[in-house]
Amino acid sequence: MMYILEDAINGILMGSIYGLTALGLTVIFGVLKVINFAHGSLLMVGMYVAYWTVVLSGLHPYLALVFVIPVMFLFGYYLQDILIKPIFKAEKNVREPITVIIVTTGLWYVLDNLTLLIFGPQYRSIQGNPLQGKMLELGQMLISVPKLWGFVTAILTASLIYLFFQKTRMGRAIRATSLDREAASLMGINQYKVYNVAFGIGTATAGIAAVTLVPFYNIFPTVGVLFDIKGFIIVVLGGLGSIGGAILGGIIVGLIESVAPQFMTATWTEAIVYGLFLLFLFVKPSGLFGMKYDW
Amino acid sequence: MTREKFNTIALAGVVIVAFGLPLVVHSATYLHILVLLWLYAYLTSSWNLVGGFAGVLPLGHAAFVGIGAYTSTVLWLQYGISPWIGMLIGGLLATIVGIIIGLPTLKMRGAYFALATIAFAEGLRVMVENIDRLGPFVLNGPRGLQIPPLETGLYSFMFISKVPYYYIILVMLSGVLAFTWFISRSKLGYLLNAGGEEPEAAMALGINVARTKLIAMAMSSFLTALAGTFYAQFTLYIHPKSIISLDLSFEIAFIALIGGRGSIAGPVLGALLLRPVSDFSRIYFGDTLPGMHLIIFGVVLILVMLFQPRGLQEPLTRIYSRLQARLFASKAMET
Amino acid sequence: MKILEVQHLTKDFGGLRAVDSLDLDIEEGEILGLIGPNGAGKSTVFNCVAGVFPPTKGHIYFRSEEISGRKPWDLCKYGLARTFQIVKPFASKSVLYNVMVGAFAITDKTSEARERALGVLEYLNFEDRKDTRAGNLTIADRKRLEIARALATEPKLLLLDEVMAGLRPSEVDDMVSIIRRLREQGVTIFVIEHIMRAIMALSDRVVVIQFGQKIAEGLPQQVAADENVIKAYLGEEYAVS
Repeated sequence: MMYILEDAINGILMGSIYGLTALGLTVIFGVLKVINFAHGSLLMVGMYVAYWTVVLSGLHPYLALVFVIPVMFLFGYYLQDILIKPIFKAEKNVREPITVIIVTTGLWYVLDNLTLLIFGPQYRSIQGNPLQGKMLELGQMLISVPKLWGFVTAILTASLIYLFFQKTRMGRAIRATSLDREAASLMGINQYKVYNVAFGIGTATAGIAAVTLVPFYNIFPTVGVLFDIKGFIIVVLGGLGSIGGAILGGIIVGLIESVAPQFMTATWTEAIVYGLFLLFLFVKPSGLFGMKYDW
Repeated sequence: MTREKFNTIALAGVVIVAFGLPLVVHSATYLHILVLLWLYAYLTSSWNLVGGFAGVLPLGHAAFVGIGAYTSTVLWLQYGISPWIGMLIGGLLATIVGIIIGLPTLKMRGAYFALATIAFAEGLRVMVENIDRLGPFVLNGPRGLQIPPLETGLYSFMFISKVPYYYIILVMLSGVLAFTWFISRSKLGYLLNAGGEEPEAAMALGINVARTKLIAMAMSSFLTALAGTFYAQFTLYIHPKSIISLDLSFEIAFIALIGGRGSIAGPVLGALLLRPVSDFSRIYFGDTLPGMHLIIFGVVLILVMLFQPRGLQEPLTRIYSRLQARLFASKAMET
Repeated sequence: MKILEVQHLTKDFGGLRAVDSLDLDIEEGEILGLIGPNGAGKSTVFNCVAGVFPPTKGHIYFRSEEISGRKPWDLCKYGLARTFQIVKPFASKSVLYNVMVGAFAITDKTSEARERALGVLEYLNFEDRKDTRAGNLTIADRKRLEIARALATEPKLLLLDEVMAGLRPSEVDDMVSIIRRLREQGVTIFVIEHIMRAIMALSDRVVVIQFGQKIAEGLPQQVAADENVIKAYLGEEYAVS
């Protein structure tokens, strides 16, 4: 019994990290109405940036955030500006630009394989980092410390982003644009700049998630693929565009992943997650908290 | 000579070259490459029925390849049923699955449909990787199934030389292309196009858009599954990671998109352009620059989507027309 | 015979009541105009009749059969066609192609669809542009294409949604005569319009709605003189009483 509780807690912690990885995806979707298929790859890039920052500077992994966040923000900002904006401009009247999905899928391939080319396929991890392998003893249970840090970071990041959208001018401008682009632009809001910022925020969030993962997760070129697909699942469960939904969806997935293996093989667990995903797609595509999206 | 006659002769020329290649190419390696080339052209053309004509973005078609491959292989290994028959059964099974998947998903927005197909394909792969036996059928999980090359011949769909495989896939490809051409000129083709371009207007004109897309999905899944059987018989070994892989699903979609989905020549053109890139970069860069061909694919895909979203067949067709015009202009001046 | 009967039609969108217990009917062969200030609910009425969404309350009868909640493609096969306020041509295809799509509603053969489409285009004096890409047409021609497409489905009842919007006066006159001629083909017409002189010239009867409710009904001249109508459009000060 204790094992299940321990698994559950660690699952919730890991799940919150999953939610953090999916947070950027949901923000980008909420604003641009675009599902960024390259999200996992962006996470992977963030992990490599974090890795090299720590290895080259010897800093504590979480201090690397100082460098990772602006780098990832700018990366995302300019990706949107160079690759996606032209398509938005060309397909202004199309209800939903499928071409963007195709381009982000191409980006996924390029990023993953370019990383493979440059850094090689080997698994990397930050040896001897202050968080590695640390466990917290809670009664008879062992709680993973890096995951605990990740949990706190996830909640903090989600809250900050939520506040950003509610309270700051740029945040409100972004929300206005996502609700009605034309009305917003009539109010003097440059919609393309808004999109760039939103994409930058989404990518920076992936960078934050990367930092939480780097202390205990292996880093390799295709690490993003797992998180990409999981990210989609989480975002559909929690509801596209919902910040709280992303964290909650992540926690659900994390819980299933950690508790279910007590009762079945790990790979059947995977099948269950996919099944749940498909179920939500069919029955409640807007997820638990998602916005009403006319299907 | 009229333009139509010229086109017919050009087409006949291409057909003759395609069918005549094995007479001049004897290297087994090159024949292998060519067989795979036509196989991919076949796969992308089948994908085109739903990805091009119906206007949605399916990213999980490898699932149907897998269904076809496993069905015919299991039936052959365990019951001695000819893979040709197994092929048809696999096709029917894939059609049923395609319809079941399509019913709820084709009504969704494009991105959600794409996600659903990915989830379905990955879910199927995960399941097959975990099942050793499905009732009386042995699937052998992640180790996959191997077909021992014992009896060769037409019944067993097994040949020592690559040449029969070459002709079989070429005939299959010709069949799919003819079928697609036929559909594009028929009522279904018009309705699919309309439903893909302006669904609201199409519905007001009497078109049940969801149902036409479902029909396209059914046809596409059937045809794709046939290729699965072919692949199994060609390589004599199938396992989930290779045959129900996301990479395969994506490659099929990418080739069609780069070549030009929705057109008939586009997917084939895409295969003709990209497969050699893939093969040569694998041969020459395989060890030093792994994954190079995928980078090239991705970059080409992005560039094409940014500058020629309708695919490379558009500028290529224009060049062809211009050459044609110049040919006829000079002929007119000769008299 | 009443080709369309709308009884107590009510449509709610969340908390907003767009149409409120509307009664309306159209005789076969009539041209009925539906007018009202912006936001009155005219397009909602159309969309309920055309099957885009089901009514919240009330019944709609087309050719004496209840059609509330039936899908647009079924209704089209049954003889009810519509055009869209914001035109939706198949922009990448030719005019002929567009009309052929409509013709396929009543035939399965491509050659027959082509013939019927050409026939419709000739009838509307449009065949000279049959090979033009629909996306390259002028707005007036696009409106004409909308009508041609809908006409190719051989409807009994045609719903025209602000088909004159954006047209110059001379084009409006052209459109009026086209619509009048449609009646000769045995098509009953239900038209929403803002351009007063067009709708007054066209309609046999006019229904006026405001805030989702009917406020007047009758012959065009009657309605134009009706106090409530004047109030609705121009405000209190202009009512003469």
